[in-house]
Amino acid sequence: MTAKEPDPRGADAEHRSREQLARLAAELSDVEIVANIPPWPRPRTPAEKRAERSVALWFVLSGLSAIAFVVAYTIWPSDYVSPGEDGATLYALYTPVIGATFAVSVLALGIGLITYIKKFFPHEVSVQQLHNGPSNERARATAVALFEQTSHDTGIPRRSLITRAALGATGLFGIAAGVLAIGGFVRYPWKGGDQAAKWITGWKPLNGDTVYLRAETGVLGNIVRVRPGDMQPGSMQTVFPYRESDRGDEALLLAAERASDAPVMLIRLHPGTEVTKRPGQENFNYGDYYAFSKICTHLGCPASQYESKTNISLCPCHQSEFLITESAKPIFGPAARPLPQLPITVNAEGYFVARGDFIEPVGPVFWEMRTR
Amino acid sequence: MDSVTSTSPAPRRPRGRWRRTKLGRRLAAALALGGALVTTGGLYVVLAPRPQIAAASATTAQVDPALVATGQQLYDSACITCHGTNLQGVAGRGPSLIGVGSAAVFFQVSTGRMPLSRELTHAYRKPPLPEFDPGTDQGRRNTAALEAYVQAHGGGPQLPAQRGSALRGDDPARGGELFRLNCASCHSFTGRGGALTSGTFAPILNPATPEQVYAAMLTGPANMPRFGDRQLTPQEKKDIIAYILSVSSQRNSPGGYDLGDIGPTAEGITAFVIGMVALVGVTVWLGAKS
Repeated sequence: MTAKEPDPRGADAEHRSREQLARLAAELSDVEIVANIPPWPRPRTPAEKRAERSVALWFVLSGLSAIAFVVAYTIWPSDYVSPGEDGATLYALYTPVIGATFAVSVLALGIGLITYIKKFFPHEVSVQQLHNGPSNERARATAVALFEQTSHDTGIPRRSLITRAALGATGLFGIAAGVLAIGGFVRYPWKGGDQAAKWITGWKPLNGDTVYLRAETGVLGNIVRVRPGDMQPGSMQTVFPYRESDRGDEALLLAAERASDAPVMLIRLHPGTEVTKRPGQENFNYGDYYAFSKICTHLGCPASQYESKTNISLCPCHQSEFLITESAKPIFGPAARPLPQLPITVNAEGYFVARGDFIEPVGPVFWEMRTR
Repeated sequence: MDSVTSTSPAPRRPRGRWRRTKLGRRLAAALALGGALVTTGGLYVVLAPRPQIAAASATTAQVDPALVATGQQLYDSACITCHGTNLQGVAGRGPSLIGVGSAAVFFQVSTGRMPLSRELTHAYRKPPLPEFDPGTDQGRRNTAALEAYVQAHGGGPQLPAQRGSALRGDDPARGGELFRLNCASCHSFTGRGGALTSGTFAPILNPATPEQVYAAMLTGPANMPRFGDRQLTPQEKKDIIAYILSVSSQRNSPGGYDLGDIGPTAEGITAFVIGMVALVGVTVWLGAKS
């Protein structure tokens, strides 16, 4: 094989020792080893033994820590125990313990490697010659010629039809790939015309069903419909739309609760509070009970910091203030329009129900808002 | 009030056979009175309506006139300036206390908000007056007397009989859900408090005891809305208290320090700074000559 060809820079490789070959490799890359000092010139001294043990100790520590991690991860009590109860301290230590054991395992492994390198690798100084500037004239000319020859042989410059068609196809395919990648992110909020998600909320009675005002109890399947008398004067409660057809269907209940335009603040004012109603919304309230969307008309935060004395509802994001006694008119901050009011009444069973959807869109303004 | 009217007419029935001796007569009368009382009480227990009203009237029935009198004395020395001679309030100084209930008195006085140190629009938590200090027996007795006095004028919300850990529910997860829906908008997710309008603020919940949290929910002090027992049931209130006790006052910081309990910003920047310093340290060590 290649060994039969006489190497211009050295004799047959297989007859050389490992050291000689390594030195040859360095020479072939124009590297000159100036100094190579072994860290332990005399083998098996007590100092070397100590260094060896200290490196090994790190690896042993890493291994033990890994075992400790697996054990802690498996048997340490990880179920929530609230502070003050028996076993709370043990539970509170769960995360620190698995974190610390894992971290020590990784760190000790790394530290062991680095100390090994620092203590046992020879201290070597080498110099490699670097060649600056371009390749020589002949190499450059041949490389250019090779490209030109290949191009001539394959005939690409001559066949412009194929070239253009291929370029066009590539571009169009790129567009198709882009549509595929971005298309999934596009939501069309106007789908459904008048019934588009932008215009209607979960409060709209569809097919003549009754939409109740449901209180949140922290348990999904536990339905509590709000009645007058459930709330004290000067109180506020967040309510969600509920239909009897949703009963027992956790997915529908959850969807009604999670819809971003669904939460409504049901507020019971103190009796005798003076109220200015917006024209067209005179009969939206039920006695002292007023229902307003909880979604701020500025950027959609929950504007539910209701102050029962001043009757102001504050949005924590940008400090928009809505005066509930003036139909949730914005009186401070960036919000420009009032919180939409939900028309409510009490049905024959004595439960609060929505008389219809909001008469204006919920949440932040958008361009087409006044077009309907 | 029901029970007062039902127990007061104590009927005396048997009057015939035991007239022979004075002792006999007295014994008979005492037995008859005792029997009548037990019967009335038993009937009351059976017939009285179960919820709230029963509890309320039972507590009202126990009101001790001496306690109310002590309460009035305390009221006259500590509260009368702003709340008026008959709790009707003084225009421009303090609101009427008729119907606010003993829970409101307990909250305002035991948290030191009342009496105000000077005229303010907003009451802040401060160490309670020595005579109302909930840490002393005398303070508790005085607060109870003041509560009884205010409760005797127009009733109002009252704390349940349980105290301390009995007010801690067993489902802090559900309490957390309810806390985030009802309380977090003002008090922040872990009860850190937050800004309201016109320079007022919702307070931090660390120093609040379970009874104070319960009383605040019942009575809605200052600008806080009220959460009656039909809006948040007693069990729901207890679960909320369990959640607050689980997250406030460094109790939810397994790492040893809660960084203000304000969420991922403080935690993230701390992890970033400590991590960067550690990385730089390791890099320096790697590059150092041994």
